[in-house]
Amino acid sequence: MSWAQAILLARGLSRGWGGICSTALTGAPFSQVPPQAPRGLRCSAVAHNPDSSLVPRPPEPSRRPVKALAVHEELFRPALDGTRDKANFVRAVQNFAEYNVHKRGHVDFIYLALRKMREYGVERDLSVYNLLLDVFPKEVFRPRNIFHSIFIHYPRQQECGIAVLEQMENHGVMPNNETEFLLMQIFGRKSYPMLKLVRMKLWFTRFKNINPFPVPRDLPQDPVDLASLALRHMEPDLSARVTTYQMPLPKDSPDTMDPTETHIVGIQSPEQQSALARHDPVRPIFVEGPFSLWLRDKCVYYHILRADLLPPEEREVEEIPEEWNLYYPMQLDLTYGRSGWDDYKFNIDEVEEGPVFAICVAGAHDQATLAKWIQGLQETNPALARIPVVFRLSGSSGELLASSSELEEPPPPPPEGQEEEEDSQQRQQQGQS
Amino acid sequence: MSGCGLFLCSVAARFCRTPAAFTVSRRPLVTSPPSRAFAKDLFLGKIQKVRRRRGGLGLSNTMYARLGEVIGLDASIAVTLAAHQAIGLKGIILAGSKEQKARYLPRLASGEHVAAFCLTEPASGSDAASIRTRATLSADKRHYILNGAKVWITNGGLANVFTVFAKTEVVDSNGSVKDKITAFIVERDFGGITNGKPEDKMGIRGSNTCEVHFENTRVPVENVLGEVGDGFKVAMNILNSGRFSMGSTVAGMLKKLIEMTAEYACMRKQFNRNLSEFGLIQEKFALMAQKAYVMESMAYLTAAMLDAPGSPDCSIEAATVKVFSSEGAWTCVSEALQILGGAGYIRDYPYERLLRDSRILLIFEGTNEILRMYIALTGLQHAGRILTARVNELKRGNVTTIMETVGQRLRDSLGRSVDLGLTGKLGVVHPSLADGAHKLEENVYYFGRSVETLLLRFGKTIVEEQLVLKRVANVLINLYGMTAVLSRASRSIRLGLRDHDHEVLLANIFCSEAYHQNLFTLSQLDKHSPENLDELVKKVSQQILAKRAYICTHPLEQTS
Repeated sequence: MSWAQAILLARGLSRGWGGICSTALTGAPFSQVPPQAPRGLRCSAVAHNPDSSLVPRPPEPSRRPVKALAVHEELFRPALDGTRDKANFVRAVQNFAEYNVHKRGHVDFIYLALRKMREYGVERDLSVYNLLLDVFPKEVFRPRNIFHSIFIHYPRQQECGIAVLEQMENHGVMPNNETEFLLMQIFGRKSYPMLKLVRMKLWFTRFKNINPFPVPRDLPQDPVDLASLALRHMEPDLSARVTTYQMPLPKDSPDTMDPTETHIVGIQSPEQQSALARHDPVRPIFVEGPFSLWLRDKCVYYHILRADLLPPEEREVEEIPEEWNLYYPMQLDLTYGRSGWDDYKFNIDEVEEGPVFAICVAGAHDQATLAKWIQGLQETNPALARIPVVFRLSGSSGELLASSSELEEPPPPPPEGQEEEEDSQQRQQQGQS
Repeated sequence: MSGCGLFLCSVAARFCRTPAAFTVSRRPLVTSPPSRAFAKDLFLGKIQKVRRRRGGLGLSNTMYARLGEVIGLDASIAVTLAAHQAIGLKGIILAGSKEQKARYLPRLASGEHVAAFCLTEPASGSDAASIRTRATLSADKRHYILNGAKVWITNGGLANVFTVFAKTEVVDSNGSVKDKITAFIVERDFGGITNGKPEDKMGIRGSNTCEVHFENTRVPVENVLGEVGDGFKVAMNILNSGRFSMGSTVAGMLKKLIEMTAEYACMRKQFNRNLSEFGLIQEKFALMAQKAYVMESMAYLTAAMLDAPGSPDCSIEAATVKVFSSEGAWTCVSEALQILGGAGYIRDYPYERLLRDSRILLIFEGTNEILRMYIALTGLQHAGRILTARVNELKRGNVTTIMETVGQRLRDSLGRSVDLGLTGKLGVVHPSLADGAHKLEENVYYFGRSVETLLLRFGKTIVEEQLVLKRVANVLINLYGMTAVLSRASRSIRLGLRDHDHEVLLANIFCSEAYHQNLFTLSQLDKHSPENLDELVKKVSQQILAKRAYICTHPLEQTS
C-alpha cells in the first residue's frame, strides 16, 4: 500500500496537492498519512526530480515506538473517555467498513480485530463476530466453476474466515443462522469455513453438557461469592456448610492504610467435623497451601486443614457394641471372613490420603489470616483448641505472575516444635482471653 | 377349642361388628380415649395370655391366634389390645419376678389398668445404642430417677403401667463402667409422666399414639424387670414373641373381605355380565383366597410349634409369618379395593379404611426390611456354625473336600432329582400334593447349596450385603409357606374335612408360584449372574444420592 500512496502523493505533490490530499483523507484516521504528508510537504521543494519520486522509498528509520503498529491499528485507539467496550469496538469496525468501498486490507484488519477483541471484552459476543464476518466482501470469493472448487479459492480469505470461527470456538460461542447465511454469501457452501461451521454446529451441541462438574458461564465478581462457589465446587458432600469468617472491608475510605481485613470463607461437612472431634490431640494437624483452583479464567487459592494418616498399627478398629440392634444381629459369630475372589476393596489406583478436615479460601496467604480462620473453626470444633496446628505454607502462588513469591520452606523440626508451642500458647491465650 | 374360648370368640365378633367400634375408627381424630368404655366391657380384661390365677384366661398360643382372627375385623381395637398385652405386659410375664407378677398382672388382666411398651425414641428406632433416656440411681439407692422422652407409644395416653427401657450405668466384672439398657415397670402414679397430644395417623385412628415424657420419675428398685443391664435381651424376647398372631388376624380380616367383595362382584353387572365372570376379577379373588390360606396355615403351624412342650425358639418362623401376612394384607386389600373400582375409593365403604389400617402392618413390630435381615442372618448364623468345619477345610485346601465339592457341583449342574422323603410310601404328604412336595424338596436342596456358597464367598461380611440377605429371606419365607400349606392340605384330605379339594388347589397354586419365584431368586444369588442387577442398582442409587435429586435431564430439554 505504501508505494502506491507514495506515487499518488508524488503525483499530487507535483500538482501541489499534497496538503489538500492529506486533509481530504484525514476524514478517516489513517496512520500512514500524517508521517507521509509533512514529508511530502518538506520534500515538495526538492520534488521536481521525477526519478526520485517514482522509486519506492526505502523504509524509514522508525521514529515509532518499538512495538510496530499494525495497519489500521489507529482504528482501535481508545475512545475519548478511555473505556474499551462493545460500542467502541463496533464503531471501529464500522469505520473500517466505511473507509474503503473495496475493503482493501480486510484480512489484516480482521486479524487485528480478532486480537483486539479481548481488550474490549467482546470475545464472547456472537453479534460482534457476525459484524466482523460482515467485513468480508460478499459474493466475490464464491467458487463459480469446478476449477475453483478443486483448488482452494482465495486461500488467504478462507484461512481468515476459519480463524474467525476458530476464535469463536475457543471462546465457546455458538454460531447461529446469521453466521451461516453470511458464510454462505461470502464463501459459498463448499468452502472450508462453511465446513467448519457445520462441524461446529454438530459437535457443540453434543459437547455442551459434557462437563460432569460444570462451572457457570458468568462467574461472580464479588470475591466472597467466588470463594463460596469454588468451595462448593470442591466439596462433594451436600451437607457441608460454607461459613464466611471475615468479610473484606469496603474500600470507601480514601485512607492510605492498607485494608488488613481480607475475606476468609471456609467449608466443612458434618463428617469432617466429627472426624476432627475424634482426632487424637497428640498428633498435629497441618494447614497447607496455597493451592490453586482454576474456574474458567479466574484462579482461586485455597488452603486445607489436614492430618497425616495413622500408621496401620495405631488405627482404631471400630468396636461393634455387643447389644446394638434390637432386631437382628449386626455381627455373625463365624470364624471365617470374605473369600479372596469376592474382595473388591483393593484398588491399585486409590492411594489413601490423610483426612482433610476443612478447606478455606482467603484473600491473603499469610499466617495471620489463616490463624483467624482456625479461630473461627474453633467455634464449631471445640476439640481444635487442644490440637497443635502447624502452618505449612508455601508462599508461592505461582499461577499469577503479578504476585510476589517468597518461598517459606517448611520449618525443620526444632522450629516446628517452637511453632507448635507458640501455636498452642496462642490457642491457650486466646482461649483464656 | 374349649367352650369358653368359643364363647369369647362370639362375644368378640359381636363387639367388633358393633357401630361403636366402627365409629371409633372413623372419627377424624380421637378426642376422648375410648379405652375405658370397652375395658369396662370386660372385653379387654379377659383376652390375656395371663394365667388363670392372675385373673387371665390362660390361653395357649393357638387359642390366642384364633381369637386374633376375630379381633382383626377392626384394626384399631386389635392394635390397642396388642399393644396392651402382646408387648405391654409381656415383659412382666416373661421377665418379671413373682412379686411383680402378683402386683401388676391381676389389675392389668382385668382391664383396670392399661399397659404400654416404651422403647422408641426420636433418635433411636432399632438402634439400641442410641437410646438417650437415662435412669440414675438415687442417693439412697432405693429409687431410680428416670429422665427422657419416648415417641410413638401406642396406648400412651391411656396407660397406667409402662414398660420403659432406659440406659443405666453398669459396673462390669472387670471394673469398667458401661452404659447398658435396663427395663423398668413404671406406673403413672410415680409422677413426672406427661403425654404429648395424640398423633394424627393415616390409619388405626381409633388407637391412641402419643409421646411420653419422663421427668425425674422415681422408680423403685423393685420395679426393675430382670437384671440391671439386661434390658436388651428382655426387649428382644418381648418383640420376638408376639409376632405370629398377625398371620391369623390378617387372615380373619381377609376372609371377611373376600365375603364382602364377592357379594359385590356377583351383584354388579357390566356389559350384561357379572363382574365375577371376568378373568381379571377372578384372578384377584384367587389371589386373596390363596394368601389367606397360606397366612392361616403358617400362623397356626407356628402357634402349634410354640405350644409344644419345652417352648422352642420359633422366632424366625414368627418373623416369617409377620412379613408374609403384612405384605399379603397390603396387596389383597388393594386388590379388593380395585375390584370395587370407584366405590372402593369412597369413604362410605370400609375398603379405604382397611387399606389405610393395613399399611401400618408393614411398619410396626419390626419393619419388614429389618425382619428380612433378621430371618436371613439368624438362619445363616445357624448354618454357618454347622458348616464351619467344612469351610475351614476348604479354605485350608483339603484335597478330598475340594474334590467332593466339585463333584457335587457338577452333578447339580447336570440336573439331579431330589428326594428328601416327603412323598412316596412312607411320605407324610398326600399323593395329590406330590407335585408341590417335589418342588419344595428341590427348592430346599438348591437353597442349601446356595447358602453354602454364600457363606464361602462372604463369611462374616455377609451382614453388609443386604440385597443378598433379602433374597435369602424371600426364599425362606416361600419355603415355610410351602411347608405349612402342604402339611395343612394333607391333613385336610386325610381327615376328610369339607372342601379339601379346594384346599389342594390352593396349595398347588401357591407351591408352583413359590417354586418359580424361588428358582429365580436362587439364580440371582449366583456369582456374576445376569439376573442379578445389584451392581447397577447400587450405582444408580449412589449417583442419585450424591446429588440428592433425580438427575436425568427433562425429556423436553434441547441443546440448541
